Amino acid sequence: MKIDENLHWILSFYRTSEISGALFFGELARSLRPSAIQQDMTRHFADEANHARYWTDCLDKLGVQPLKLPAAYQNQYLAAAGMPTNLMEILAITQVFEKRVVSQYTLHAKSPNVPDIVGDTIKTIMKDEQWHLRWIRDALKDMEAEYGADNIKDTLKRFTLADREVYEKTALEHQERIGDLRLATK
Amino acid sequence: MSNKERVREKIAETLGHTSEMVPDDAELTSLVNNSFLLVELVIELQEEFDVRFQQVDMNEVVTVGQLLDLVGSRMAEKSSG
Repeated sequence: MKIDENLHWILSFYRTSEISGALFFGELARSLRPSAIQQDMTRHFADEANHARYWTDCLDKLGVQPLKLPAAYQNQYLAAAGMPTNLMEILAITQVFEKRVVSQYTLHAKSPNVPDIVGDTIKTIMKDEQWHLRWIRDALKDMEAEYGADNIKDTLKRFTLADREVYEKTALEHQERIGDLRLATK
Repeated sequence: MSNKERVREKIAETLGHTSEMVPDDAELTSLVNNSFLLVELVIELQEEFDVRFQQVDMNEVVTVGQLLDLVGSRMAEKSSG
């Protein structure tokens, strides 16, 4: 089976993004001292690596090879929101990003003419994504004593604004490829 | 080895350089090929030396020397507090 080039690009984009996430969380998991966060971060890293594998396998089953794409979506976050400089800020930016991922995958799964293999891959990944949102939410809650609830709330707000900016920019840049998969950002 | 040199060694190790390759006046962005490595570096330093930074602290940091000063001052605050 051959797929159209827009779907080929989008699935390759998902794969690249999952690889970037895995590499980033892998490095963080290596840096952190033993703790519950280290344990969850390690599982999160493994999930992201698996997701990249699922998309690679999915592309293979669709009869195409992954496209080699430049800098992943996440890289643009740093330019838009400033560099996260502590664990709380990293978890906050991850929480915002994971929500974006869930929204995007949900929209994709509901769009017309989704090949079964793509729908199945999204379904598999979404099970992990729900856990990602949960563990980060809980970890941020636990950090309130150290970083302050208001500080965490403000950080989430700052990264949410940056996320909207980056998503809108990316959607405009790749409008023809994304088409119906573009989310409303208002 | 002084704390400053321990921190410099950790910076060098994290960025895949030798201590001689990270002098005080080297700009951090010139030592990395992507911004995520800088994020990993600041987390590594905080975990290793048990200190905390805020984004506002890092806004002032451009060079290795400034990062050494920041870690040093946080370590001093911790030991005096």
